[in-house]
Amino acid sequence: MPIRVNPKLVNEIERYGAEDVSKCYHCGNCSAVCPHSTQPFVFPRAPMRLLQMGFESKLQNSLEPWLCYYCGQCSEQCPRDAEPGETMMSLRRWLISRYDFTGLSRLFYRSWKAELGALLIMAVLTGVGFLLWGFTHGDIRSYDGPNAFLASSAVHIFDWTMAVVLTLFLTANCVRMWWFTVAGRKDISVPLLSYLRGVYLIPLHFFTQKRYAECGHKTSWAVHMVLMASYVTMFVLIMFFLHAVQAGPEINWNVHIFGYLATAGLIGACIVMLRARVKKDHVWSERSHASDWMFLVLLLYVSVTGILQHILHRSGLGMAANITYVCHMMGVVPMLLIEVPFSKWAHMAYRPLAMFFADLTAEALLAKEKKPSGLSSPQLAEIG
Amino acid sequence: MEEVRIGVYVCNCGTNIAKVVDCDAICASLSKMPNVAVARTYKYMCSTPGQEMIVEDIRKNNLNRVVVAACSPRMHERTFRKALQTAGINPYFFEMANIREQCSWVHENEETATAKAEALTRAAILRVAHHEPLENLYADMCPSTLVLGGGIAGLSAALELAESGHPVFLVEKTDRLGGNLARVDLTAPHLYSARDLLTDRIARVRANPYVQLMLESELKSLSGFVGNFTAIVGAAKKNGDPHKEHVLEVGSVVVCTGYKEFDAGRVTHFGYGKLPNVVTSFEFEKMLREGNIRTKEGRIPEYFAIVHCVGSRSRDFHGYCSRVCCMTALKYAHEIKSAIPNSYVSDLYIDMHAFGKGHEDFYRGSSEAKTLFLMYGKNEHPVIKRAQPGEESEMLIEVNEQLSGETIEIPADMVILMVGMEARSESGDVARLVNISQDKDGWYIESHPKLDPVATTTEGIFIAGTCAAPKDIPDTVAQARAAAARILGRIAKQKIEIDAVFAEVDEDLCSGCRVCNSLCPYSAVEFDEEKKRSRVNSALCKACGACVAACPSCAIKARHFTDRQIFAQIEGVLR
Repeated sequence: MPIRVNPKLVNEIERYGAEDVSKCYHCGNCSAVCPHSTQPFVFPRAPMRLLQMGFESKLQNSLEPWLCYYCGQCSEQCPRDAEPGETMMSLRRWLISRYDFTGLSRLFYRSWKAELGALLIMAVLTGVGFLLWGFTHGDIRSYDGPNAFLASSAVHIFDWTMAVVLTLFLTANCVRMWWFTVAGRKDISVPLLSYLRGVYLIPLHFFTQKRYAECGHKTSWAVHMVLMASYVTMFVLIMFFLHAVQAGPEINWNVHIFGYLATAGLIGACIVMLRARVKKDHVWSERSHASDWMFLVLLLYVSVTGILQHILHRSGLGMAANITYVCHMMGVVPMLLIEVPFSKWAHMAYRPLAMFFADLTAEALLAKEKKPSGLSSPQLAEIG
Repeated sequence: MEEVRIGVYVCNCGTNIAKVVDCDAICASLSKMPNVAVARTYKYMCSTPGQEMIVEDIRKNNLNRVVVAACSPRMHERTFRKALQTAGINPYFFEMANIREQCSWVHENEETATAKAEALTRAAILRVAHHEPLENLYADMCPSTLVLGGGIAGLSAALELAESGHPVFLVEKTDRLGGNLARVDLTAPHLYSARDLLTDRIARVRANPYVQLMLESELKSLSGFVGNFTAIVGAAKKNGDPHKEHVLEVGSVVVCTGYKEFDAGRVTHFGYGKLPNVVTSFEFEKMLREGNIRTKEGRIPEYFAIVHCVGSRSRDFHGYCSRVCCMTALKYAHEIKSAIPNSYVSDLYIDMHAFGKGHEDFYRGSSEAKTLFLMYGKNEHPVIKRAQPGEESEMLIEVNEQLSGETIEIPADMVILMVGMEARSESGDVARLVNISQDKDGWYIESHPKLDPVATTTEGIFIAGTCAAPKDIPDTVAQARAAAARILGRIAKQKIEIDAVFAEVDEDLCSGCRVCNSLCPYSAVEFDEEKKRSRVNSALCKACGACVAACPSCAIKARHFTDRQIFAQIEGVLR
């Protein structure tokens, strides 16, 4: 059956950032120069072709965009300035919106106003909610102790509730991703054993991001690693050691040293990344989508307000610390609720998953190649 | 008779000759031959010192014959004849032995190669002794020119000549000027309007007193030779109103008869003629010129598809590339997008030939405007069919797309077939009238495809534009003006120089059998009905020798190829 061409898809993808994909004339230099482009995942040319021709379901089922870390070598030597690197980036955004069953992601990526509006509404709701809770349950001048404005036990329960909601969203989307890219594919079948054998790839790629290091830009990999490690550290501290983190006024070095390191890492990495996007000094930082800015600014805001409320608390300024804490939460809640399941932060989950799925797909394709076709042996003998 | 004194020069041609042939040995051996006054070798005889050596020897040693054993006479015969002329002796007292192409380049054994080179040079020495002094002839050059065809080529050639103050007869078969270009809207890649390109030239042609415009006319016959043709121009056949025939005296003819478009109906899988909205490029040009792009049903199409190479680069039709269709297709993409901004244009090509100045940028511009380029394989073809009711488009095109490796289906409301160029059906008649040849596709053949692209093998007959091969407007105009420049050069000289080497009929020996008349490939032999003798027109004769060999009475002699000269040469080789 012939596949129907849909010339409208390039217009759709333009909203996600890829403005130059039509310029590509398929010389293939991008795929030749890409350090990650190997059989059976050859890119960026092939996905660019699918995009030009509007093969939506093929694109939705493809893992290639996740295998790219945007080192930018492809864009640097593209004779037509078709920006294959940026196209892959945009395809990742598009895929996030495709995996998301709610449709919110699509809305946010296509309209920065919608995303910003959602962030602001969430922030206001959070602020109002926390103030109401604080004034009815504690004293604004007291940060910790029995009369605390925002008691860590209550915040702890709130955090875990939010985590469960997020996990549900993200898991549903990951299952959709799995269905699109592996399970729903009719041409391959992956045995259960392969899943078990390869599952270690998820934590491996999550914690090391070793493919990024293979891109040749060690600095950007390192910055990315610092950001990720700091985020994970902070996540563990808040989810499991919130009581110890908030208890004061003395500094609990056993716990707080991790918090300081993580904060320094988050702020430092955010500044380096924002600076690159402002200076546009690399191929990968030349073009920024609204979602990139919102994510980085939000993360920096959350990190700065986080450490500030800590300092104010240790300085004995209980009221100032509580106000800053509310401001901090006004950043944290929208960041987690919007960015993790519906926007840029989702790649944290999809990327290591994609490595796992790519491995499964490659193995299944290889097995299919080795397996003799549907022909019976006498027929094969005839051909032979 | 004056004593024959021959100078023999053996060229080393750097190492081209010397590395296989022992030039010094040949020189030493041949210097002992009778009549050889001087024998020398030199590194490069064609260089200025080499030529000066010949001139000096002629003057000092009273040489009256020269033999140079070197490369092919096609390469340097003219050079050395000039040296003889400089020294004050007749240039035909020269003979060249080809010991490079016919010896050192094709042999490895030094001994036998040297022997062969010596034999060839010896033959030249014996031959040159019998050479006769010959003088070139001259004929008058008529300054009028006949231009066949009123398209952009004919207009350009006619203007170039007429604006230099020379009479031009511009013969056009139809009732209007402009040719195929008049059917075009904008031109790629600059998007100049074809109408603007033409109207200025048409107005200038019509206003020029030196141009005699002959519409609805065609050439009936042409006789004579370069500088002195007689043309008869009459009413074009289909007109049916045979007004008086004109007899024109012209010195040159420029053939600018153009092309005709490929008939898309010959390709069955495109459904041309059956599907109402499958149109040819010229039909689409008409819509563009009218500023009204609509389907037959009157709707504004949303999906356009342009199919390249219709009739061109195909096993079944024409093998060649029609050169203009790629850029014209991009021009359509551009014009469609500017006329209907919300439309989608798919461009189905085999290879994108963006060879000319500004073409690559134009191609890039089309990509930027989101034209979807789809590649199909050579000798494969897209199949166009009607879509089911309720589909997003009226038609669907199925094709095996090369860049994705997928069999795809393209929605289309209007399909434009880029029909190629082909030689006009009457081009054979014109070729016979003016005595020029055609290639297998019917295009006129040029004298030399690279070095003499507008001249033909018939002196005084020039070809320009798409009658010679598919080409775009700049190339067509350049050719037309090049042909005019060649003619203006001749007009400026006022005389036509006729080469001294041609065949002559001895009227006393000729029996009037007329064997030679039909044999001559250049129609140079005429029959004098009064004297009942054949006669060679020296201006048309190319000295091929066919008539000389055929004459049963040995009445025809070829100047510079006399029996004595040939026999002496054979004797030299065999000695």
